[in-house]
Amino acid sequence: MTSIDIPEAPSRRSALLGQLLGAGALKKAIVLVLLCVAWEATVRLLHVNKLLFPPLSDVAVRLARGLGLGAGASGELWGYIWETLSVILQSFAISIVIAIVVTGLAVSNRWMREVLSVMTGIFQPLPSIALLPMAILWFGFSRDSLVFVVVMAMTWPIASSLTVGFATISPTLLRLGRNYELGRFSMMTQILLPAALPMMISGLRVGWGFGWRTVVAAELVFGATGSGGGIGWYINNSRLFMNISDGFAGILLVIIVGLLTESLFRLIQYFTTHKWGTESF
Amino acid sequence: MVAVPSRVQSDPRSDLVEIDRVSIAFPRSRGRGTVVAVQDVSVSIRRGEKFVILGPSGCGKSTLLTAIGGFIPVTSGEIRVHGKPVKAPTMNRVLVFQDFGQLLPWRTVLGNIEWAVARRWPRYSSAECKARSMQYVELVGLGPQAEQYPNTLSGGQKQRCAIARAFAVEPEILLMDEPFGALDAINRERMQFELNRVWAAESERVTIAFVTHDVNEAVHLGHRVMVMSRGPGRLRALVDNPSVGRPPHDGAALKLVDELRELLKDPS
Repeated sequence: MTSIDIPEAPSRRSALLGQLLGAGALKKAIVLVLLCVAWEATVRLLHVNKLLFPPLSDVAVRLARGLGLGAGASGELWGYIWETLSVILQSFAISIVIAIVVTGLAVSNRWMREVLSVMTGIFQPLPSIALLPMAILWFGFSRDSLVFVVVMAMTWPIASSLTVGFATISPTLLRLGRNYELGRFSMMTQILLPAALPMMISGLRVGWGFGWRTVVAAELVFGATGSGGGIGWYINNSRLFMNISDGFAGILLVIIVGLLTESLFRLIQYFTTHKWGTESF
Repeated sequence: MVAVPSRVQSDPRSDLVEIDRVSIAFPRSRGRGTVVAVQDVSVSIRRGEKFVILGPSGCGKSTLLTAIGGFIPVTSGEIRVHGKPVKAPTMNRVLVFQDFGQLLPWRTVLGNIEWAVARRWPRYSSAECKARSMQYVELVGLGPQAEQYPNTLSGGQKQRCAIARAFAVEPEILLMDEPFGALDAINRERMQFELNRVWAAESERVTIAFVTHDVNEAVHLGHRVMVMSRGPGRLRALVDNPSVGRPPHDGAALKLVDELRELLKDPS
């Protein structure tokens, strides 16, 4: 006997949910639950050393306590995750400014376009974490080093998709703008920016993804940044003190925050480019 | 050729657009030299007429239309509107493209028209703007789709919206560059009929210059048909069309269609 999936017309609300979670959310949830069960069962049934690989339940308890839930909860994870987020947010802002300036130059000048294209080509295959040793040399064991490395990870993909976004605006829309006598500024705000938005969003999304991986990796290598460390530092410390459950809790948190920001970008897409049918991934 | 709708012909001052010995050349994309797209064309477009520029693809008809709009410069000669040379695009000469992508994807059907109306009359209140735009949305029969985004419309609906937007800003001249070229045959005929209807509904005051390579379309729409020949684009013939707006199977119309076909076929 075979069964055929007949897709139902999605309602408005489930369309939004679908956009946030991706297609096949229910199936994904089932797979996720099965993975959790498999983790727990394997560790318990095979009597794996808990010091090396804790069962999921232990990790979940540590995560909950770290987030300030339950009895004797410390809530310490919030501090670490905030430290990491503040580094990446600062770097994100800096990268966006640099990317806008670079794109502006690239759009108006042919030589700058080549410069950008070469720079992107050079830095694309280089994991910017490789620059960390030099950054430490230049900026010392400070937050600045982290920011530098993360900015290097984010700037180039953002700048390159911004440039592509502006370069691929349809000539028809530009003519439309000229026909309706738009000046430079109105042309920018009324035609160029909204037309480039799909590429902008996907550029920011990719840039953020690069940055998130880089910041956690940099913190792992780096250790404490002055007063407090970030979530990567926390994961590394848990190894030093043999609190492996804490380490796993940190890793889960990195994943969760990554997924949440991803959803945020999807949400922005849903209300703009998805609605306009100009989405680009 | 049959003699003609008279009211406009006798008065030389009724010429709205004068195309005076115009040549347009582009630099070749590779190597040196230039490609001559339009060569030594002189013709006038009268106020309030539907003027069709007919020719095979690559005969420079779109180039000529774009130059009338002021989007590209002429190489020699002059294009004058009201006796003044055309320099830059203005909202008095609105271009409608073949490209379905001429609507702003981030605005609804109504929003697209409101945008244009607000550009044209910046002093309008948003209520006035909306009322005027809605009137044109209804005129082209897009009422039910007013709040939809362009990506949800069919090709024909998109072109309707573009036409509504162009009419809504009351240009003196509407420049239409094969607006129905990408539609299927049935939709194309329907849109030709619609264009005639909308033009009439606007009390026939908008002058239309319409570029096409479709002979039937030319005969259905144009008071006068200008035939261009290819390589380089020259004026081949200027034909009066008394059967404008008649159904396509009308006898006189069919005869003209045949004549125009011959003109297009044989290279002089």
